[in-house]
Amino acid sequence: MVAGLPLRESGVLKGHEGAVLAVRFNGDGNYCLSCGKDRTLRLWNPHRGIHVKTYKSHGREVRDVHVTPDNSKLVSCGGDRQIFYWDVSTGRVIRKFRGHDSEVNSVKFNEYASVVVSAGYDRSVRTWDCRSQSTEPIQIIDTFQDSVMSVCLTKSEIIAGSVDGTVRTFDIRVGRELVDDMKQPVNCISLSNDTNCLLASCLDSTLRLLDRSSGELLQEYKGHTCKSFKMDCCLTNTDAHVTSGSEDGFIFFWDLVDASVVMKFRAHASVVTSVSYHPKDSCMITSSVDGTVRVWKE
Amino acid sequence: MDRDEEDYVFYGTPIEREEDTSTRKRKAAADAGQLRSLPVWKQEVRDEEGRRRFHGAFTGGFSAGYYNTVGSKEGWAPQTFTSSRKNRAEFKQQSIYQFLDDDDMKNMGGQALETSTQFDTFGFTAAEYARKQAEKEQEKRPSAIPGPAPDDIVLPAADSIGMKLLQKMGWRRGHSIRETQADSLYDARREARKALIAFSSNINEPDIAQIESSVSERDELTERSNDGIYSSGSTPVYVLNPKQDLHGLGFDPFKHAPEFRDRKELHEARIKDQDNRRGFPMGKNLLASKSGNYAPGFGIGALEELDVEDEDIYASSVACYELEETEVEEVEPAKIIRDNHKLEYRKQGVLSGFKVASNPDYNVERFKPPVIPPNFEPVHKFSSPLEPASKFAEAHPPEVPPPEDNNLKMLIDGLATLVARCGKLFEDLSKEKNKANPLFSFLSGGNGHGYYVRKLWEEKQKYGDQPKQMDMKSISSVPKLTAEGRGRILGERPLEKSTGSSSSIAPKEVIHLQSNLSDTFTKSASLDRLSESVKPFKSDPAKQKRFEQFLKDKYQGGLRAIYIADTDGMSDTDRARERLDFEAAAETIEKGECGTKTNSQSIEKFLELARNGDMHFVPSLGMEKHQISHNEEMLVTKIYPKREEFQWRPSPILCKRFDIIDPFMGKPPPLPRARSRVETLIFTTDSSKDVQPAETEVTKRDALPVSQLKILEETKLNAEEVDNELTLPNVERPVDLYKAIFSDDSDDEGDFANLTKVDDQEKKAEGANKALNRLVAGDFLESLGKELGLEVPSDINDGPLKTNTLTFPETSGEGDYKISFGNERSGFELQKANMHWENKEPTACKSTSLGNAVKSLSPGICRDMIDGVLPPEGDMQYNTDSRRSNRSISSGGRTENIYSEHQEGEYPSEEKDNRANRHKTHSRHRRSSSSSDSDSSSDSGHHDRSRSKADKRSSEGKSRKHSKHHKHKRRRSRSRYPSHDDARDRNDDHRRKDKKYREGTSDATHSKHDGHRKYH
Repeated sequence: MVAGLPLRESGVLKGHEGAVLAVRFNGDGNYCLSCGKDRTLRLWNPHRGIHVKTYKSHGREVRDVHVTPDNSKLVSCGGDRQIFYWDVSTGRVIRKFRGHDSEVNSVKFNEYASVVVSAGYDRSVRTWDCRSQSTEPIQIIDTFQDSVMSVCLTKSEIIAGSVDGTVRTFDIRVGRELVDDMKQPVNCISLSNDTNCLLASCLDSTLRLLDRSSGELLQEYKGHTCKSFKMDCCLTNTDAHVTSGSEDGFIFFWDLVDASVVMKFRAHASVVTSVSYHPKDSCMITSSVDGTVRVWKE
Repeated sequence: MDRDEEDYVFYGTPIEREEDTSTRKRKAAADAGQLRSLPVWKQEVRDEEGRRRFHGAFTGGFSAGYYNTVGSKEGWAPQTFTSSRKNRAEFKQQSIYQFLDDDDMKNMGGQALETSTQFDTFGFTAAEYARKQAEKEQEKRPSAIPGPAPDDIVLPAADSIGMKLLQKMGWRRGHSIRETQADSLYDARREARKALIAFSSNINEPDIAQIESSVSERDELTERSNDGIYSSGSTPVYVLNPKQDLHGLGFDPFKHAPEFRDRKELHEARIKDQDNRRGFPMGKNLLASKSGNYAPGFGIGALEELDVEDEDIYASSVACYELEETEVEEVEPAKIIRDNHKLEYRKQGVLSGFKVASNPDYNVERFKPPVIPPNFEPVHKFSSPLEPASKFAEAHPPEVPPPEDNNLKMLIDGLATLVARCGKLFEDLSKEKNKANPLFSFLSGGNGHGYYVRKLWEEKQKYGDQPKQMDMKSISSVPKLTAEGRGRILGERPLEKSTGSSSSIAPKEVIHLQSNLSDTFTKSASLDRLSESVKPFKSDPAKQKRFEQFLKDKYQGGLRAIYIADTDGMSDTDRARERLDFEAAAETIEKGECGTKTNSQSIEKFLELARNGDMHFVPSLGMEKHQISHNEEMLVTKIYPKREEFQWRPSPILCKRFDIIDPFMGKPPPLPRARSRVETLIFTTDSSKDVQPAETEVTKRDALPVSQLKILEETKLNAEEVDNELTLPNVERPVDLYKAIFSDDSDDEGDFANLTKVDDQEKKAEGANKALNRLVAGDFLESLGKELGLEVPSDINDGPLKTNTLTFPETSGEGDYKISFGNERSGFELQKANMHWENKEPTACKSTSLGNAVKSLSPGICRDMIDGVLPPEGDMQYNTDSRRSNRSISSGGRTENIYSEHQEGEYPSEEKDNRANRHKTHSRHRRSSSSSDSDSSSDSGHHDRSRSKADKRSSEGKSRKHSKHHKHKRRRSRSRYPSHDDARDRNDDHRRKDKKYREGTSDATHSKHDGHRKYH
């Protein structure tokens, strides 16, 4: 037993009908948002196991959701090719961003919640302006060769992973595009908490840790199954471990440095679609195709 | 009556009754005869009153009755508002008559239109009957409202047509439609089924209860319904079970085997159970029955269609399996039963309730196989071989020296080749034909027969190689020819995937094959021999290998893998260099090949060359070093991820939103794609060639005289530093300039219209001009230069053109033009412009490229500087225009120059300048034409946009100007050349020349233009 890992199930959040596709902590980790194939977004208090609110408006499954640091706005995207910009408290859609030619896989706010960056199946990353009334994208990045699965933002960079096997970093400050060719379809990318490293989940059932400054491959994590579904991965709040779900319902923890599987246990009956780690505490939420969101604590 | 009258031709004057003829009518009558004599298009339609009712669309349209109104005195007045306070607005029932005019009414012939809600075949009585029926029922039914419901509340539907038909056929209400015979049959079958169920219930113990219950339920149901049927004797009102299967309408797979139906229902119930247990409350039957395997829990919108995306990708394989099973079962219901009762089946041999027949009726009759005659051979052999198949086995004939006679040798060679390709038959034929011909004696053993035999053999060897190889291969790879096998036979190189295993075919063999294949079509490049003996890069085996690969790629058709095999480690430049190397080497090889085939000397030479090339291309570091670095690179690249870096330009707003300074701030926007540009350049090449002669011709004519140069002393131009004094007449209004600078839309409209507005804008323009001076001084200078070298409309010309001119000293040579204005602000700019200028070649008209912009400038500056000292504005603008148009016309090639006619040849020395100038003009024209009216090409739009701002301004000024000139010119020219086509031709000419101009690379002087070209 490894200390500090959230291995105890502290609660199950039930409510979604059908698969839950993503679950995300909010900025301070007090709430979480889940979205799924039932076209709804749900806001939960995972610590008390309370369902707070349901956001309905999507016409198809919701694939990703992100919340602003001040918890006032939501952004979500999904199979209906639109990006919904929500008001958290009223549950109304403030704006819809249309423009993606196909399903939108991932969406994120920037630091100031002024820009929404979305990545879609149409091989593009688009940036949308939340401040102006314009519903046209600010910029379309279409250098990808294949569906863009996941997007991450830092203060000055847009990082996106694509099925074409590349992780592309668009540095706004310098005005350059860095292409790290992983040679394997990238499923999900996530940043370490110090943003120096990038964890990329590839479809060859391998997680790869990259040094962002040099593009060097630091470590590979194997053992889980990730071959056909979009599944999340992340680092723990201390950056000591790497965690990811598996297609067989398992959750894996690897040691960051020596890449050994520290812990694995069966968490869900079916594919674990998403994992999200509490920004400060040792707490994790996982979602699965079995329709549940589970909260894990130390 | 009137109408009748009009059909007649009247002679004489009809006697009129005073009371019914108005004067108009009289006139109409009088005109009638006259009208008819007119041609059709001059005849006018008039009404009976003699008024003209049809006007042109723009002169009033159709004016019947109340002119251009709805046909009432009031016209189309909206319904007046009536306050509902005092008097309630009555609901106006609109009838169709309000929408019909008199003619329509007439056509209706007094028949009233009515709508009917009923389509009653049998008249009104049916409805009446239905109503009564309903009343009767109403009485029977308990209802909240006592007594019969009033008629107007309960409106029963009339009987359907089907019912009526049935009634006609003798059916009466309240009777069953079912055949009576069917009843008994059904009863019997039901009995049988009951018995069967009793049997089968023994078989499947755990299911007994369920079966029992379901069966009993079902039976009860049928019983009840049957009873109902019997008691009332009528057909069931509504079939309660919706169609859920994929069978045809009315088809019941269990019709004669109702026992299977129960089975199926049971099975379905079980599946449903499982579904519920799995926690999909809505059940998948609903969705699954629709199609495929779709995500549970929710449907999709009514307007959407089930799509691939809706598939439940997460569904486990178990669910899939079950779904399949049910489907299978539906298709073949007996199968499951068979599975379930396999044991019993085997024990009893039959389904429960049946027993095996002791002697089956149906016996398969079996026949003995036919007897094969002993002498039968399964493979047909041709009595005589198609070709002398012994060619491989036959000992090759001895080499024979060719006959001395060269002709004979050639003949033999040719024939041998032919025979080798066409077969022995050809030989026989020619032998037959040329029996008498002594030349062909070699066929039948005469002179040169030995040589012929040898040659024939050789050819056959050569030609037969391919089929032989094919034979061999296909034989070896029987029975099936796989894709790989075929590829091998064809000598194709397997794609990258199997590069590792590609060694199965030696590259040499491949080449050989390939060359064999291509031999028939292309020159023989049997490089295999060479590449064997000649290894230009012997010192570096890797490189040699790559070279061989390169050769293969070069001479081999078909698919080829990317040229990367082991060059991965090399940088792009290295690779490029090596490629050049290889090209050179290959060329040498080819040359050597062509020259003397087996000349070892040439090979030596080639080797030398190749080596030289090697030295030449490979840096002095030498092979080893290269090798090492190569290896290092290999090592590095092995560790993916590979990192690449590109420039990426974030949009300014993005930077702003990210609170980051735009790294590209202030830099020009990215260049538009150059592709279209390249295309245009490519296309221009040939067309420009034929224009050339015409152009030169024009040049001569173009030489405009700078004869009368007038120096206007009144101008405050500081002329002392200026070699060339000039007087710029206040020719033009500054509107164009103003617009060019302060309006940013690049499309200009209504140039002439603008001119009319000029006056209002003039004040503003004046202010702008001051600011402008500085900006455009450079341009101005350049234009000056252009003007210097250029034609100036002379005083000779009469009319309005005469009045104002640009005046230049006659000595307007090339070189620096130093101009300083009283305006000090422009000083710096001027210097700049000067430098710019001096950079260019001194061939006069370099600066002309900018020319036009300056034109527009000039008046402004002039005004600024001259401040009203200038001569009054008169036709001046027109004048400049005409001057320019003059130029453009002259550049039009075929058209004559209005002005130069009498001055032709006067100033031959300026020809050169003028030519350049003409170039200028073309470009100007092109731009103008694109930006002004007819032919706006996106291309030019491009260039306008892409230029830097200052540039843009000037160019816009230019283009605006030009569009004006262009128009002007066209207008003028139309008077000269009445035919439209002519004008178009001219335009085409312009365009072509313009292309030519753009294409011309020799004219380095037009640096500005070069810049433009880049953006075009």
